Amino acid sequence: MLLYTQVSDKNRKSVTNLIINSFLRFVAVNFNRRKSLKRFLKSSDGWLNFSVGMRTENGSVECGIIFRDGKVSVSGSVPEDAGATVVFKSDAAGRKLLTGTPTDIIHMLLQSEMRIEGSIVYLNLLSFYLSLVFGKVQINAMAGERKKDRKKLLSESPVTKKELSDTLALRRISTLKCTEKQKGVKYLEDPYLPQYSLEDFPRLKGFLDYHLSARPEVCPEMPLLVTEWHRKHGYETDEKGRPWSPVLRKAHSFRYLMENRKPIIGEQSLLAGTTTSKPVGCPVYPEGSGTLIWNELVTIPFRTHNPFDISEETRELLHNDIFPYWMHRNFREWVREKYDNPLCQQMDERYALYFTWKQATISHTIPDFPKMMKLGASGIIREIKKELAKKGDPEKKDTLRAMIITLEGLAAYGRNLSAQAERDAAAETDPARREELFKLAKICARVPQGPARTLDEAVNSMWITWVGCHMESMNAGLSLGRLDQWLQPYFEADMKKLKTKTARENYTKHAIELIGHFFMRCTDHFPLTPDLANWYFGGSSSDQAITLGGVTPDGKDAVCDMTYIFLKVTEMLSLRDPNVNARFMPGVNSDAYLKRLCEVNLATAATPSLHNDAAIIKSLSKMKYNIRDIRDWSATGCVEPTLSCKHIGHTNMQMMNMVAALEMAMNNGRHPLTEWDLGPETGDPARGDFKTFDEFFEAFTKQFAFIIDRSIEYNHMLGEAHQEIRPTPFLSALIEGCERKGRDVTKGGAKYNSSGTAIIGLADVTDSFMAIKKLVFDEKKITFAELKEAVNDNFANRPDLMALVHKKVPLFGSGSEEAVAMANRIAKWAHDYYGSLPHYRGGKYTTGFWSMSNHVAFGTLTGALPSGRLAGKAFTPGLTPQPFASKSLLDNVRDVAKLDPVNLNNNIAFNVKVVPAASDSREKTVDDMFSYVKTYFDLGGMQMQMNVVTSEMLRDAMAHPENYKNLIVRISGYNAYFVTLNRDMQLELIERAEYGI
Amino acid sequence: MKAPLILEIRGNSLDDGPGIRTVVFFKGCPLSCAWCHNPESKRVQAELAYDPKECVRCDACIRACPEGALSRKNPEFIDRKKCTLCFACVEVCPSGALERVGRSMTVQEIVEFAAKDRPFFKNSGGGVTLSGGEPTFFMDFSSLLLSELKKKKIHTLLETCGFFKWEEFSKKILPHLDAVYFDLKLFDDAQHRKYCGTTNTGILANFEKLISHRAAGRMTVLPRTPLIPGITDTEENMAGIASYLQKHGIKKAALLSYNPLWHEKSRKIGVRNDLADRTETSQWMSRERIERCKSIFAEHGIDTGP
Repeated sequence: MLLYTQVSDKNRKSVTNLIINSFLRFVAVNFNRRKSLKRFLKSSDGWLNFSVGMRTENGSVECGIIFRDGKVSVSGSVPEDAGATVVFKSDAAGRKLLTGTPTDIIHMLLQSEMRIEGSIVYLNLLSFYLSLVFGKVQINAMAGERKKDRKKLLSESPVTKKELSDTLALRRISTLKCTEKQKGVKYLEDPYLPQYSLEDFPRLKGFLDYHLSARPEVCPEMPLLVTEWHRKHGYETDEKGRPWSPVLRKAHSFRYLMENRKPIIGEQSLLAGTTTSKPVGCPVYPEGSGTLIWNELVTIPFRTHNPFDISEETRELLHNDIFPYWMHRNFREWVREKYDNPLCQQMDERYALYFTWKQATISHTIPDFPKMMKLGASGIIREIKKELAKKGDPEKKDTLRAMIITLEGLAAYGRNLSAQAERDAAAETDPARREELFKLAKICARVPQGPARTLDEAVNSMWITWVGCHMESMNAGLSLGRLDQWLQPYFEADMKKLKTKTARENYTKHAIELIGHFFMRCTDHFPLTPDLANWYFGGSSSDQAITLGGVTPDGKDAVCDMTYIFLKVTEMLSLRDPNVNARFMPGVNSDAYLKRLCEVNLATAATPSLHNDAAIIKSLSKMKYNIRDIRDWSATGCVEPTLSCKHIGHTNMQMMNMVAALEMAMNNGRHPLTEWDLGPETGDPARGDFKTFDEFFEAFTKQFAFIIDRSIEYNHMLGEAHQEIRPTPFLSALIEGCERKGRDVTKGGAKYNSSGTAIIGLADVTDSFMAIKKLVFDEKKITFAELKEAVNDNFANRPDLMALVHKKVPLFGSGSEEAVAMANRIAKWAHDYYGSLPHYRGGKYTTGFWSMSNHVAFGTLTGALPSGRLAGKAFTPGLTPQPFASKSLLDNVRDVAKLDPVNLNNNIAFNVKVVPAASDSREKTVDDMFSYVKTYFDLGGMQMQMNVVTSEMLRDAMAHPENYKNLIVRISGYNAYFVTLNRDMQLELIERAEYGI
Repeated sequence: MKAPLILEIRGNSLDDGPGIRTVVFFKGCPLSCAWCHNPESKRVQAELAYDPKECVRCDACIRACPEGALSRKNPEFIDRKKCTLCFACVEVCPSGALERVGRSMTVQEIVEFAAKDRPFFKNSGGGVTLSGGEPTFFMDFSSLLLSELKKKKIHTLLETCGFFKWEEFSKKILPHLDAVYFDLKLFDDAQHRKYCGTTNTGILANFEKLISHRAAGRMTVLPRTPLIPGITDTEENMAGIASYLQKHGIKKAALLSYNPLWHEKSRKIGVRNDLADRTETSQWMSRERIERCKSIFAEHGIDTGP
């Protein structure tokens, strides 16, 4: 750990120093005198001893607070052994920490007004203590912020526009009929299923209403049981002092958890098992990012975005028992301690350059559900035992044993659910529900332990397995795969048994309801996001992607009955998550199918996301994957391709701010916001160091390579932390390759390995380069120094230059071949560079150009750009062209389609906001949407996602959120409820180009 | 061959015929309708437009103008009496506030530009629409353009005011057309002379010839009437046109609701018009008024769409 010490120099101390000192003294006195507070200084393992320093960059403030053996004291200097030191940019920032709201403090961190040296855990713990003293003030401040915000919005649009919100509701009642016969559809008479709407499924309607109003609650069940197990059996070493094999340790704690967690059959649910013990729960993963909410244990129910309930009991458990055990046993702190707070980690923790997901989790893959449904846990155990009987190294033996233990845990949970269903049935008064519960008891007596035979068994087997996955590691983009393909055989098997038309119709309705229940079960948890993440990844849930349609491994049309059943459910429920992705293979899949996708997109306003199979397959063609496996790809998380059931492609290993590299190239290696001389010295535009555009491009690539190298270094360190702290043997049992290799997935056990990046700012960087190339080097209209000065001033004195860039430079998306070539050049460089780097699990790094919500967050942390984008404004989402690049959507579509898929092997997010004309019929609107998508795909475009909303609707939703609870919008790759987004993100969506259709 | 200046080629139009279309706007029109929604398309010659909203006041144009025609002191910024349309100001304007209206393009250039959108035409059933201005004002050029488009199997549609010589039209234009949107603005000839500057007798005669021609062919003809408050949307004019269409067996027509955005365009090219000062022509049309007009057509058995 990096320890910060500095010799104090009393002469330089400021008034702020005195204020902060007094403040800390006030805190110390409170803790020392008040018993109600003092008890928080102790955990189950004894006193929490630590200290936190505070100082300004210039030394005008220097002090610290020390917690030792139940006593709190204040020091006039930064304590030598401070676990964390807060470094303020200025005195003003120091004072703001005392008076600001929690939101202010987040922004101070993001904006580099303060930074942290050392471990954030200690700062979070201190913040928790501060909230015990000042919680009420903080809560009132947040409420005050909301009130002010609300007042402003209402004054801007006082009257609700019911006609707008009503239009949305009307869209969900589908009317189109399918006129073409669909080859793969065996039983559905009209695959569009126009005869059904949500009204036909009162239970689903009830679930949906509940989902839209329920507030998630922090659930301590999992960490409680796991910590309990570890306290008994040890962590680094076992009861007898022998070092634990990480994979076996994880397996044992998993089995203990699965055997002892509460088996719950959700009220009225056709599926057994729940992710947490709360109706909607936030699971806590203490070895990942769990401890990041330590500071919010008091305030979390009162924050503005994504507030969570938390009981007094949970708060005490987390603070006293769970967090102290894990405060060093998590990925981030493991790396900090082992590698001495490396630069690559420091860069990550300044938020403006990159964000590395492994500090929370890996997930992002598609488990082998077909195998689980086909063989059951017992069948897979038999298979592993055969492998175990063969020769193998000790690690292989441990890993295989660990897999078996976890599968036993899953089977035990299934049996517990069966027993619970019996008990619930016995207590049930409604005969119909009692019948269902008895049926569930039978189903769970069979699956997931054994093979599934019916659709009900298959879906339950899959769901319980899914719960198991959540019990092992945090779900961020762990995805469900090609469920239409994998469930179709069970659907057909059930249908075959039915003799009459009525029976088949009833069964179809049941299948829709069952899948609807599955979708709703997927909403039973929400990631435990620290408030900071609401600014970074606003509104994102777990992003459990489901993939529909496309082609089979043989290249044949894969669209089937279940495809349309999933689409019906998607349309009726209009949920943000599961994140539905649809594949379309031109020339193989039918127009009628693509039209249905467009209709569902219109109805839900934002989903499914549409993928061109031909382009995706081409993008993976150089990856040395088997073509049959490529054709079996599924979207993971947002949009990224993963080869189903056999690929750990951690496709969201990082969010990379490519624009930071441009800023550093403009500043000779210095990163402007953090005022940090980070990168190599590559020349200064103001000095006239660049004679040609290519010289500048090279400077950019050097800076970018520097950032990429650091980010990969951190990725590897965190990868190692996962191997030590949280191997995932249960997941490994469900990924092809692990058995044979005898390695956990965290160690490269999967058949295919890779990691994928999300590079943010392709349009912004391309346009900046076009401005520099055209104006400075080609046309010589201005000097580079002049442009640099305008950028430094945020174009305040050069509106003419800004106008010149916006109006006279050919931008990406304007139909300019030159701009497309520039975008391809950047994408190719990034792809080739990432692709050349060694990977800790074997395999390659892949490049994607989508952004989740980080185009907003990174935009906030970036200065003005040569593209004329002003400081702090959002970048464009994914690789979407700037709104003013062209008046014609067709130019956008054509340019994006011209990007070479080979460089986009972690996919893209191309956002299009389309607005149907009020006078158009549904058929005409769907036809128009179809024409755009089909043509985009014909031209080679890879992915497209349409938001079918108007800016006017979104403005109305900002002021009157009560009318838009289930308005989903596509951010960049994932869906969110618009009303849960932070203001910056809402405005970014409103400002996107809007194309009438 | 009389070659037109082209105002704009706009892709992705969904309102100028079936499917996704690319619309070629010609500059120059034989009519001079008081309400013309594309006032910059009336004159054949190039014009200079100035949009103060876009201007960033860098004054580069003032320095570039050899005639001293530009000054912040001029009421309209441009002194159009002094301006010789050399467009030196447009060259240096960074923001596009100063724009040249109308540029020469060859048939080949237009076809190439439009052909970029062919994949969209294919999937949507769209194509190219000639609009304006008045494409038939440039009969030979339009003829060549349309025949080139047809060679590429692109669906063609003409939007016309109907003021043309039938003989020439039927020979040069008609063979290359898939559809015609034909404007019938004012039924009363005196009114037509007053507001559009010409008689409408030839226009009506052309319309009749066109629909009898259509009866033999596969071509779509859609009569369209722009609704101009107080001018064309009167009970008399609506009934006049509707019964005329009914008499000729027309079942489908379009009514184009009024939008006042054209005043802005008028101002940009320095053209004053009286309609800008009238209340009813300076605002959007009411839903009720539109519905009333539609109902008059409906009474005559003519569907005017949703």
